[in-house]
Amino acid sequence: MSNKRRSRLELIYDILLSIQNKGGTIKPTHLMYKSNLSHKLLNNYLEELIGKELILIEEIPSRKKKVPSKVINLTDKGSGFLAEYRRMREFTDAFGL
Amino acid sequence: MYQLFFTPEWFNGFDLVFEAIILIIALLIAAYSWKAYKFSQENKFAYFSLAFVTVALSFMFKIFTYGVLYFSPVREVTATVLKPLTGSGLQFADLFYRSAFFAQMFLMLVALLLIFFVAQKSRDRLTKLYEVSQMALFVYLIFLISFIANFKYVVFYLTGTVILGLIVVQYYKNYLNANKNKNTFNVMLGFLFILIGNIFFVFVYLYNQLYVFGELFMLVGFLILLRTYRKIKRRSNHE
Repeated sequence: MSNKRRSRLELIYDILLSIQNKGGTIKPTHLMYKSNLSHKLLNNYLEELIGKELILIEEIPSRKKKVPSKVINLTDKGSGFLAEYRRMREFTDAFGL
Repeated sequence: MYQLFFTPEWFNGFDLVFEAIILIIALLIAAYSWKAYKFSQENKFAYFSLAFVTVALSFMFKIFTYGVLYFSPVREVTATVLKPLTGSGLQFADLFYRSAFFAQMFLMLVALLLIFFVAQKSRDRLTKLYEVSQMALFVYLIFLISFIANFKYVVFYLTGTVILGLIVVQYYKNYLNANKNKNTFNVMLGFLFILIGNIFFVFVYLYNQLYVFGELFMLVGFLILLRTYRKIKRRSNHE
């Protein structure tokens, strides 16, 4: 991973990409490691992404634990965001922006 | 009647079709760049969009003035509509043409300069204050050049050639930095064709058929940019 500080948009892209790379569903702890973000920062971003309907949180009942475990799902809108971001990056690269 | 330079008569009208195609391409690129700006809120996209809107406006002025020059029905309608401005005996017609040509040249040079500045990587740029003062100086010079070019059109195409040359070098660097990516090559090639077209325009005073080659190269250059734009736009959602 490069040392360059990531922009807000790049962070959102990295979060969504991590979910997509895991087949569209990921556990919050895995996402924290994959996206290389602190717990607090990740939660802030997740709230924003839920608000924008790019992801949704699903609660799955667990046999071992009393509390259901949470998983994060990528929505169709989230997949659309990833595609648009890739297109925009390609445009940026092509036109040297 | 005032005319910027004499174009081959058989080609009159075809060039306007070429310009109309270029205008649409410029607007398409501007629209996508604006969309990217709304998506990312990064200013560079807004500037790039503005540059291509300015290109489109420049061609719009060209289509209008050349259309009026080429076709007498259009000229008559324009003369009637602009009677309050140009005078009943068209005594101010010369001023009207000069203003329109000035707008066309000024807008085109501003657009090229904007593309050159935006295409520079941020690390290559100077500090913001320095950048603004530098741009202000350039805009002043372009204003001056566009004014002088009304009397000697070669000045406009020479200046355009210099800025386009700088843009091509910039895009060549971009091509090398992007590991010789095909899209970056196409963008460089597109601007190279536009540059060659501009060089032909410089020498129209020697042989007016060069105007046709200039227009052809310019159109091919913009079509290459359109091809790159379409390739990016067509990218599937699942890739």
